[in-house]
Amino acid sequence: MKRFMSVLLGLVMVLSMGGTVLADDGVEINFWSMWNEGEPQATVIAEAAEAFEQETGVHVNIEWKGRDINTLLTASLDSGDAIDIFEDDYNRIGQVYTEWTYDLTEMAEAAGYEGYACFNDQSAAWAGYLNSITEQPQVGGVFYNKAAFEEAGIEAEPATWTEFLDVCAKLKEAGIAPLAQDGAYTNFSFYYHLVRYLGEDGIAALRDNGGWADNEQAVQAAQDIIDLVNAGYLADGAPDEYPASQTKVGLGEAAMVVCANYVTAEVNAAVGEEVNWGLFNYPSVEGGAEPTAAYAGANSLAIASYSEHPQEAFDFIMYLVTGEWDQKMADTASQIPADPSNTAPASLNGTIETLKAADKPMTWCGSLNTHPAWTDMKTLFTELFEGKYEDGAAFCAAMDALY
Amino acid sequence: MKKNKTLICLFVAPTVLCLLLMYVYPVLRTAVMSFFQVEDLTADLGDWRFNGVDNYIKIFHNTGFITSLRNFLMIWIVGGVITLALALLMAVILTSGIRFQGFFRAAIYLPNVVSAVALATMWVQYIFNYDYGLLNQLVTILGFEKIRWLGTDAKLWAMIAAYIYGSIGYYMLIYISGIEGIPGDLYEAATIDGATKKIQFFRITLPLLRGIIKTTITFWTINAATFYLWSKLFSPVQTEGSTIVPVVYLYDTVFGGKGVVTRDAGAGAAVGVVLTLIIIAVYLVTERLLRSSDLEY
Amino acid sequence: MEKTKRRFNWKRELKMLPGYAVVIAYVAIMVVMLTWIIGASLSSSREILTGRVLDFESGFHWENYVTAWTTQNVSIFFGNSLLYSVVSCAGVLLISAPAAYVLSRWRFAGSRLIRIALVISMSVPAIMIIMPLYTLAVRWGIRGRILLIALYIFMRVPYTAIYMLDFFATLSHDYEDAAAIDGCSAGRTFWVIMLPLVQPAIITVTIFNFLSVWNEFFMALIFTSSKEMTPVGVGLLQIVNSMKYSGNYGGMFAAVIIVFLPTFLLYLFMSRRIISGITAGGVKG
Repeated sequence: MKRFMSVLLGLVMVLSMGGTVLADDGVEINFWSMWNEGEPQATVIAEAAEAFEQETGVHVNIEWKGRDINTLLTASLDSGDAIDIFEDDYNRIGQVYTEWTYDLTEMAEAAGYEGYACFNDQSAAWAGYLNSITEQPQVGGVFYNKAAFEEAGIEAEPATWTEFLDVCAKLKEAGIAPLAQDGAYTNFSFYYHLVRYLGEDGIAALRDNGGWADNEQAVQAAQDIIDLVNAGYLADGAPDEYPASQTKVGLGEAAMVVCANYVTAEVNAAVGEEVNWGLFNYPSVEGGAEPTAAYAGANSLAIASYSEHPQEAFDFIMYLVTGEWDQKMADTASQIPADPSNTAPASLNGTIETLKAADKPMTWCGSLNTHPAWTDMKTLFTELFEGKYEDGAAFCAAMDALY
Repeated sequence: MKKNKTLICLFVAPTVLCLLLMYVYPVLRTAVMSFFQVEDLTADLGDWRFNGVDNYIKIFHNTGFITSLRNFLMIWIVGGVITLALALLMAVILTSGIRFQGFFRAAIYLPNVVSAVALATMWVQYIFNYDYGLLNQLVTILGFEKIRWLGTDAKLWAMIAAYIYGSIGYYMLIYISGIEGIPGDLYEAATIDGATKKIQFFRITLPLLRGIIKTTITFWTINAATFYLWSKLFSPVQTEGSTIVPVVYLYDTVFGGKGVVTRDAGAGAAVGVVLTLIIIAVYLVTERLLRSSDLEY
Repeated sequence: MEKTKRRFNWKRELKMLPGYAVVIAYVAIMVVMLTWIIGASLSSSREILTGRVLDFESGFHWENYVTAWTTQNVSIFFGNSLLYSVVSCAGVLLISAPAAYVLSRWRFAGSRLIRIALVISMSVPAIMIIMPLYTLAVRWGIRGRILLIALYIFMRVPYTAIYMLDFFATLSHDYEDAAAIDGCSAGRTFWVIMLPLVQPAIITVTIFNFLSVWNEFFMALIFTSSKEMTPVGVGLLQIVNSMKYSGNYGGMFAAVIIVFLPTFLLYLFMSRRIISGITAGGVKG
């Protein structure tokens, strides 16, 4: 028995030491990624890290944290876990993690980094300095399956809500569900629609003061969605459990989905073939305050303020977001390149120019997602798409009830 | 036998240390923290600012927490009644001389030894799936419209159903142990007196199981109050109102979730204290209502 | 399974028909679910999404299992869980068995308090203790596998001590008296004579501890900061998410089966012991 115990204890010692790899003379940096192994983005990052080590001798140790990284990062940064580079939405890097982000301004200048002004400026506005480097820029809009449009005889992309409803009607006639919608994205879709009516500032005012039911435009926005649902324009089962509904666009059962560009890569992977994607800006509404703004966001990279190898970390970031590896990321994962001098995949034609021209892009639910009742708001948005409200006024009354 | 002080100290010390370090100290610290304004979990004691019951006021004014309490109540009451009733039913069936009872006991307990992540994935991705899920296939065969099992209305119930399915076996075995502990001659005598099975159940089995029922209610309460994993698995992308439970709310508040910009360890501690109080209250109430000490056999 | 042989009696069995119906319905759900999941784990994503799982039109996709195993290196998860379970089970016994023995044998200052504290500790919700433990771990710079092992050991001590206490209480004092006459020290008596006597209890309680640690999720989620130390529960969640995001549904179900199988197989051999362990009064597994 005793012998057995000592063997066991020995085993524990050995194995628990195994976690901390004995450092050799080379520099090692830790990279916490928001991707999971097996995803195309992860594959590219892993390959880039290997190539980087070959060239510079710096070993990049990658921890694949997946999307839950945003529930882990604050605690981990706070407790000083071994992190040099971390990856998350640039909103959160700019607003939530600023306490632990490294000032990248000088290194970026020295490296001649450009990127997209809209993201860099925003980062600096939040943090007071450049605290993240854009890695995977995204644009939002209505993504559609071109084959479905062709089948329904639709030639022009709709620009207004009325035209959009026409397109829906034609698609439905052709036996294709017009719009796919997953429950996880109902907040994004409805926010987009609200922005068209109120603009982001208008929404922010409502967020702070309430009074949704008294706001005609908010009521109308909700009413539009209710009409859309009642007309039977949502795909069967929508709002569905992510990613069931968006996948239907790939299967040819539905035609359009409101999302950001990563939806194309996800759907392609799920159905196992390249869907012929098209993209148009979210349609404008009559008398709306904000007819054209498009969602733009980014997954960005930041360096922990306590990193011991900030320069090496920054070099790797540059290695990823410019030139060859950035192009590879764009091609492999159907993303917009982070380096404006690279080329976007065919399905995302024109997005680089859009991003370069944008000065203040639309956010992901901007002010709303910091509201204390955000979780309940999301439920209401999903209920809106479930057709649970009689009319727009009933929905807005429910919103007011949260205050 | 002689009392050996050194031996006692040596043998008991590690356990006492464990109790102090793992239970007494943390519980006290959490309880104290719930009355302070603390943002970071790792903040120094010096940064704690006493703020009375503000944390409690804050959480009870937060709709997210209220929703999570409501969901907890549903899980606890509805889920509890169904689980314990079904478990008791199955326990009675499997002690009534049915064939293959060994197999059935093992099969019904099986979900308890399997990773909950695996179980929940089966339910979410198959049973409740809208397009090809088992339930909607049945619904279609019966000629009805497909149902959105994971929509805002049904999701909580879907989650509870899946959870119940996995939990029954454990409570069933506890009841079986209780039933098998009841002397057989009680039933024989009752049968001779002409009591039907039903009367026997309500007059003999149920009263004699009081103590055990009490235990299972306490266990269920603890499990319902600390419910976390299933909620997370039923809303994998982000916290949803339909499935949020207090522990999920606590986790988001303390560690920060999606869109949660400010963290508040003090409020999280208050949530923990509220849950603990609920458990204690339930324990005391069942203890009173189901006093079993006066029953002997 | 049931050894009691009984002559088949139609009338008797017919009366039990509703009972059979209930338990068979329960088992049937499980069989259908598992059959479908196994089918799905061998299908392509497209077949799963279009509801053609058990047709196997494009053959059996065994590569799903290869993908599930290799992309996330499931072996690390299994290795960790095995390490955590085995070491915690041993550690828990080392700590709680002596205490249980002493508590069952003698009354001393604080013995009642310790007993009560042990029982209460079993009902303390994890969230009540996790926050300060997190703070302590950060302050003292404890991280890595050793942290989780320590937590798991401490987590299982109250239950194990209480469970063993009852068993020690049933042992006669004659053993110790005889040992004392032979000049055996009290400590030695415990390790060499008393502990082996409660071997059945040790085995049962160890099975429960093992399963509980193997399937633990909440602490693992909070206290693991790297893949090197992730156990299967959290690991499976990562795989499921990864497969979902990369659209590999076959791989997702294959991962579920991979994680399901070892516990299932173990259970096939141990179910008798587990079930008698609970029905003999070893509540709260």
